[in-house]
Amino acid sequence: MTASPSESGRARRSPEREPPEDLHLWKLPRGRHGLPREVVAQSQRERLLAAVVRVSAAQGYQATSVADVLGAAGVGRESFYKHFKDKEDCFIAANDALLGALEERVTEAYETPGSWPDRVRNGLAVTLEWFAADPDIARVMMIEMGTVGPIASDRFRVTFRRFIALLDDGREFIESAPDLPNLASIAGGAVFARVYEEVALGSVAELPNLLPQLTFELLLPYIGEDAAREEQRKATKEMNKF
Amino acid sequence: MVAMRHESGSIREEPGVLAPSVPWDIGAQSQRQRILGAMAKSCADKSFPRATIADIVERAHISRATFYKHFENKRECFDAAVEAFLAELAATAVEAHSGADSPAEALRGAIAAVLDLLAARPAYAKLALIETPVIDPAPIGGYRDAVVEALEADWKSEKGSKRSGADARIAFGRAQVLVADHLAAGRAKELPVLLPELVYIALLPFAGHDDALKHATQGR
Repeated sequence: MTASPSESGRARRSPEREPPEDLHLWKLPRGRHGLPREVVAQSQRERLLAAVVRVSAAQGYQATSVADVLGAAGVGRESFYKHFKDKEDCFIAANDALLGALEERVTEAYETPGSWPDRVRNGLAVTLEWFAADPDIARVMMIEMGTVGPIASDRFRVTFRRFIALLDDGREFIESAPDLPNLASIAGGAVFARVYEEVALGSVAELPNLLPQLTFELLLPYIGEDAAREEQRKATKEMNKF
Repeated sequence: MVAMRHESGSIREEPGVLAPSVPWDIGAQSQRQRILGAMAKSCADKSFPRATIADIVERAHISRATFYKHFENKRECFDAAVEAFLAELAATAVEAHSGADSPAEALRGAIAAVLDLLAARPAYAKLALIETPVIDPAPIGGYRDAVVEALEADWKSEKGSKRSGADARIAFGRAQVLVADHLAAGRAKELPVLLPELVYIALLPFAGHDDALKHATQGR
């Protein structure tokens, strides 16, 4: 019932997909460098952030030690504690950085002029591409964040609310939008639940193929059956362009 | 209804808070439930990775040895708590669901009962809806599939039902996100207020947007 992408879709999309530019930052740099001290410090911090993401995705946040992160980053213990209080601090900082980057991209896509449904679809497309681009990052942001503890859980919830709040512009543009207090959460919850499921299953590469179905599910509570169906058709066309 | 369930000795939210007239044969079964309740509480306060067996046995007022008589480890206890609560949710929904005039009414009754139960057992609710998906998505996935299957059977014979393009499994996900968000914000007591929205969500795949909305807002 849930749209499972066709074999051909899988073959078509996966090999050519490159992680977005700002995700390259998160590839662990290798080799030695002869850079000024501030740049080294900055790059040390970035290496640690990248390392905590990679290691947590591979073995789970709880099973990750600071030593593991140091090993992966090629950074000394003393430097680690110059940048971060502890493992949790480092992990949450990595998430904040990732979320900041995702939010920037989504907001930019959403604010590109167009009809409200078009803007929603563009924001959704960027979100799906983001999570598809890097399974480690997807896993850390969606799943591992939930294993850290109360601070991370609060952060997670607040972020979800912020994304949801973007959507609620819809009330302004769609006069017939139903008067339900949690309409934005009902709409956005469809995407969250579906993305979460794919990430948990480790099948993030399929996410961009869900654009038409999730465009429908996301817009349905605001614009109703027929209009959402029309947007789904547009999303299919949009997707087939690439 | 909730009080009755407490008296009949089903899952207890408050471990160790026993009625004054504790039956003389209060035995292994209730001890086990006390441990499960303590597990749920401990997870609700600290999250599963930080919950310790020391904390659980203290909350349940039992010895460590007693814990290991029932469970081999923390994870086994966690799984048992989730399973017990999901079973109780399902039983509650089925009971409230029976005897209604239409599938829509049945659904509304079942959702209302489930929301009451979640509101009465916030620790278990958090365990099932927030902790479980992270630890192991299988139990909730299984629960979801059972709910969807039951609803599809209900609506199959319903005349005039307009099947929407909305996916029933995604609808379950919407409900889960909405409820989990309230639980995480410490708003468990307000869950019953979500009835109209959850009726809308649940009816969406089976009755379509317009009818789902009508049912949701009826009696306002």
